[in-house]
Amino acid sequence: MLSTNPLEKRLQIAGVFMILGLLVEALCLVWKGPLAFLVFLGMGGILLFAGIVVYLFSLVSVPHAQD
Amino acid sequence: MSVPVTLLLLLILFTVISIAALFLRPGAAMTRGGKISAFLILFCLPILCMSMGVSSQLERSTSTEFCLSCHTMEAFGKSLRVDDPTYLAAAHFQNHRVPAAEACYTCHTDYTMFGTFNSKMRGLRHVYIYYFTTPPAPEKIKLYTAYNNRECLHCHEGARSFESGAVHNSDPDLLPAIRANKKSCISSGCHEVVHNVATLNNVKFWSGGH
Repeated sequence: MLSTNPLEKRLQIAGVFMILGLLVEALCLVWKGPLAFLVFLGMGGILLFAGIVVYLFSLVSVPHAQD
Repeated sequence: MSVPVTLLLLLILFTVISIAALFLRPGAAMTRGGKISAFLILFCLPILCMSMGVSSQLERSTSTEFCLSCHTMEAFGKSLRVDDPTYLAAAHFQNHRVPAAEACYTCHTDYTMFGTFNSKMRGLRHVYIYYFTTPPAPEKIKLYTAYNNRECLHCHEGARSFESGAVHNSDPDLLPAIRANKKSCISSGCHEVVHNVATLNNVKFWSGGH
């Protein structure tokens, strides 16, 4: 499922992190419990942040030959 | 579910679908237009979702419903319905002197995540105690610092009943002392019956206002 192209592969990995983070965020929005905010920030925030970092890293780390 | 939350959920759904499409066709991000789209989908939209989510969560954590979702706070929620006007919190709640939907936050504006760094740390400690140890009985729960008159004054300051009240003007030094938080509204013997959760077994409750 993952691409063999390094840049595309990193974009896909970033996408997976972000989808997981967004799903956690959506879950926390409908969850009324007192832990919702902590899970939202602690899990959703970290997953989204990881996805963004992987995406930004993919922009600067792939050799120019790929452009 | 409120309209802003519904809209945010729709935005999250749109973002997830966009990311999934990019996941299935990552080659589309290699063109100039694709790179711009990828930046919007993998950077701008997630940050927008996160910011709106934080805002939504903070807004929800000011609600009375959220505060009372901890079992430990149930007695404090019950105290808002005491059928006795001398109970300060109950009188404010039942007469809508504070918004009923945000009753706790209106009078405790610096509590846990809304306060200083130390308050936020205490909030995390409360979560730990609630889930992993035995929380104290409601009557044992006290504020960490004396209740600040600022919380009363942000509504009562300038109000006729407060400024011109006979008791408040009985001593010319009283109002300045209240404003300077040198004489507590609550613990100096004037408005000292607030939640008094230890006495809830002996009082009647108001059943209206739902």
